[in-house]
Amino acid sequence: MTDNWTVVVGIKQVPDEDDVTIDPDTGTLNRAEAAAILNPPDRNALEAALQLKDEVGAEVIAFTMGPPTATPVLELAVALGCDDAALISDMAFAGSDTWPTSLTLAYAAEYFDADVGIFGEETTDSSTGQVPPGIAAHLDWAQLTYVADLDPRPEDNQLLATRDVEGGHEVVAADLPVIVAVGYGDNDPRPAGLHRKLYAETEFEPMELDAEALGIDPDEVGLDASPTQVGGMDTADPVEREQEVVDSVEDLAAAMAEEGAV
Amino acid sequence: MPEVDVDEYSDIWVFIEEHAGEVAPVSWELLAEAKKLMDEKPDDEELVALAIGSDLEDVAEEAIARGADRVLVADDPIFEPYRADPYGKQFRELVAERKPDIALIGGTTTGRDFAGRVAVPTHAGLTADCTQLGIDDEGHLEAGRPAFGGNVVATIKCENHRPQMATIRPGVFEPLDRDDTRDGEIEYVDVVVTEEETVTEVLEREVGETADITDADRVVAAGGGIEGDTGPIERLAEALDAEVAASRKAVDEGWMPHARQVGQTGKTVRPELYVAVGISGAVQHLEGMNDSDVVIAINNDPNAPIFDHADYGIVGDLFEVCDELVAALEEADDPQEVLA
Amino acid sequence: MTDSTDNGTESADDQPTRTPPPAQPNYDNTFDAIVVGAGLAGSAAAITMANEDLDVLMIERGAYPGAKNVFGGVMYTPTIRDLVGMDGAPIERYVGQRRYAMLTEEDEIGATVNIGDWHEEPHNDSFTVLRGDFDEWLADQAVEAGATLITETTVTDLIRENGYIVGVETDRPEGALRAPIVVLAEGGNSLVSEGAGLKPAPDRKDVAVAVKEVIEFPGDSAQVIEDRFRLGDEDGAAYHYFGEGAAGKSFGGAFIYTNDDTVSVGLAYRIEDSITQGINPEKRLNEFKSHPAVAPLFKDARTVEYTAKTIPEGGAEAMPKLVHNGALLVGDTAGLVLNNGVHLEGTNMAVESGYHAGKAVVEAFNSIPATERTAGATAAGGQTARADGGMVIPSSHLQSYPDRLEESFVVKNLEHYEWLIHRVTEDKELLFEELPAALADAAAEYFAIDREPKQVHGARAKERVLGTLGGLRGLVKLGWRYRKIVR
Repeated sequence: MTDNWTVVVGIKQVPDEDDVTIDPDTGTLNRAEAAAILNPPDRNALEAALQLKDEVGAEVIAFTMGPPTATPVLELAVALGCDDAALISDMAFAGSDTWPTSLTLAYAAEYFDADVGIFGEETTDSSTGQVPPGIAAHLDWAQLTYVADLDPRPEDNQLLATRDVEGGHEVVAADLPVIVAVGYGDNDPRPAGLHRKLYAETEFEPMELDAEALGIDPDEVGLDASPTQVGGMDTADPVEREQEVVDSVEDLAAAMAEEGAV
Repeated sequence: MPEVDVDEYSDIWVFIEEHAGEVAPVSWELLAEAKKLMDEKPDDEELVALAIGSDLEDVAEEAIARGADRVLVADDPIFEPYRADPYGKQFRELVAERKPDIALIGGTTTGRDFAGRVAVPTHAGLTADCTQLGIDDEGHLEAGRPAFGGNVVATIKCENHRPQMATIRPGVFEPLDRDDTRDGEIEYVDVVVTEEETVTEVLEREVGETADITDADRVVAAGGGIEGDTGPIERLAEALDAEVAASRKAVDEGWMPHARQVGQTGKTVRPELYVAVGISGAVQHLEGMNDSDVVIAINNDPNAPIFDHADYGIVGDLFEVCDELVAALEEADDPQEVLA
Repeated sequence: MTDSTDNGTESADDQPTRTPPPAQPNYDNTFDAIVVGAGLAGSAAAITMANEDLDVLMIERGAYPGAKNVFGGVMYTPTIRDLVGMDGAPIERYVGQRRYAMLTEEDEIGATVNIGDWHEEPHNDSFTVLRGDFDEWLADQAVEAGATLITETTVTDLIRENGYIVGVETDRPEGALRAPIVVLAEGGNSLVSEGAGLKPAPDRKDVAVAVKEVIEFPGDSAQVIEDRFRLGDEDGAAYHYFGEGAAGKSFGGAFIYTNDDTVSVGLAYRIEDSITQGINPEKRLNEFKSHPAVAPLFKDARTVEYTAKTIPEGGAEAMPKLVHNGALLVGDTAGLVLNNGVHLEGTNMAVESGYHAGKAVVEAFNSIPATERTAGATAAGGQTARADGGMVIPSSHLQSYPDRLEESFVVKNLEHYEWLIHRVTEDKELLFEELPAALADAAAEYFAIDREPKQVHGARAKERVLGTLGGLRGLVKLGWRYRKIVR
């Protein structure tokens, strides 16, 4: 492969978990008023992509699947250094679970003729971590999840990755094209440059792609194409606790002894 | 939209996660829970353990001893160590051939990597990070997962697609004791993958101790408050003969390995004693330790939510409190003290 | 999966109107003015300039304007009302009731002021606000007026060339940005202005420390507040406390402001006192809240937010030079604040100073012909000040800002305050410790219910107060010294 790599980064806007408040009287969560932010693990995905840009001159394009109000995460991607960004938006996508979501993002990776697709480990609002492997499966590409570090080998048309595994790590070489999910917190995201930030926030408008532009049959996506349904919600019973705050370490040790814990 | 004839599908499969002969404990936990689910299934259905790996004879025998009626073994050096693409292809072929109704996979990093890959080609319904499993009146799997930070449990169903898949958080269920008198069938299946068609290669692999915090009677867990200094909690854990665990914050900061993470995306623990040191008490963390018998909180922020979820709490500098507590515990061990 | 010819025709329709991002965007000299800090003064300056079609960039270090501002309290709004109107302003309650009270360790002597007019529009232009919300709203008004706002960006230094300030350095990569005018509205901790030598580092005695908590009540918090403070739906209370029970033995005072469904409670006093007397502000605030006369107001309350900051406390003497070649200082940065417990005001002066500074910049631009505003324009003295040939504005063209400020209530207030602060410092012990104690004793005496006639109590009460003040002559002297306070 002689051309520069094309790297796509899939990102998502989520409610800020730190901004989700619990009503102390009713114990219910208030998510609706939480600020909308970039899914925190996606910061690491963007950084990994931009490092590939620095190392092998890859063209980096960010995209998000969501409503037009998700545009600020694309602005942030461009501010950080992505070459361009696209909003993937269509009413047909509404109600998608991880299956049609990964299908849509797979079409998007093909649309941009990507060599590498980079994603965050998971989104903080649904925490499945299923979408990146799902995209790889739809495309029948290699997948590298829980990636701590990438080492591009354009001469071999390969991407090497250091992956976190239970109790240690491994180094895996994958043939392109490949889908990568970067481990949350596994790199140190750069800040946006001042002039890029100004551009992104004042002038940038993302590409807009709907199902038709991506070549997606609307019957393949959305609620009807989602194998899983939420069957019901049950409030988890709070566990009764003593909630006793003691004044001294001696009292604490005594309380532990009394509970038979020591 | 390829909907399937759900009646063609039967049996419960449990993925046995194995690395170099060592089985991830969650695999045995799932076998035990799946055996309970079998009570709700027709009598002619089987509990099947699926073992993919290399040199699996002992693993297959243990799977029978841990509750499986049948073990499907795909045994080949190509499967060691784990890679998503050969594992995925082998699984896909087996599903197409045998049509399992339910497939359960441990929610480890490997299990999540595997499940996400294999659920797509079969258009299976996959529910992540479950903590409850059941079967409804119509025979559908009910997979319960904490949502909205653990305040509610959402029940996810998959009525029109098969298999019904779920990843389950490690530590939630109790494994069965090994019973070598149990009977079961071990069936070696055709390996359908060749090295030529794989697109990945594991160049190096370094795995140290794989700590199992889910078994510990006592756990001392560190949060963001430790600021990178694990000394105090390690000393406290030693004094209490406890395992060291961590909140997501301490893991993301790189202070503790992911294998020791408690909570959503980590493990569930249910020790007799849980000491939360410098952990604020985010709901995602509480999910993983709320079943502990006695919870102690040490935090310098009197408003930290953890105090609402602890039996006993102390407000103070955690470094000082830990060391003083170690001293107090050692003193209490002194026979003189006990006599007095 | 994708049919590329289809996409080709699709994009041929859609894409021509869209310009992809440039490789290296550059905004040097795109903006006429950079405002450092999107607080009240900065936003007021930005609104004023943007209203006159200047291109203004506000640079805010917080995640949003107001994020770094701990001050909840009373906002005086005449200037804002003129500038942008009050429609949609996030006010909590109008101030319908004020209370001034002296606290000894155990007693309270106070007066409540409740003026009928305050309950009518425009409510004496006094409202309780949460500054986090209010600052964000005012910055939004600047953006509405056409200004650009970027957040999470800290200005670290100013760029100087040939004696002119020609731009700012920020903490971001490729973080230098040039513009003809820099308005410094960075607040009380004005590190950029001090670092660039535009103002001296503050004397320790010129700085006060302020702590604040936001409190709420279980259940219907707003109803609890209205019951305890005897308020209606929309009116609020502003309480000011002095004396040992409020700020201990230090120079300062405490305050309570009712918001919509929370209460702001806090205190402010000199850092000098905090250092010499080892007073921990958080502890001091807790002592105030548990004062017998105050504690009932906070029964069952829970703290939802705690914040602390330092504030300048200078008066006119501490005011630095306000205009420089290419730069102006406004708001707290310019020392334009009165805030120490004796007299809590500064927000209105911040807005007023931003307004006058903005006006001065607009006039300066208008005084230079439009044709000369681009590359190659020269300074008044005839030399080109900027290496890139961009426009510069000498301080002489900005002089209308300090001139107007002199004429406004801002400096008059400060001068008034200057006098007050000297007096109060001299009489500190008397005013903050002895007099409140004597007044409390006297009141206890006067209102004592026993079998002695009222006259006797009255006489004894008078004796106690006069004894503290040095007899009748002392009282007359004290009254003369503080005569200006009532004018």
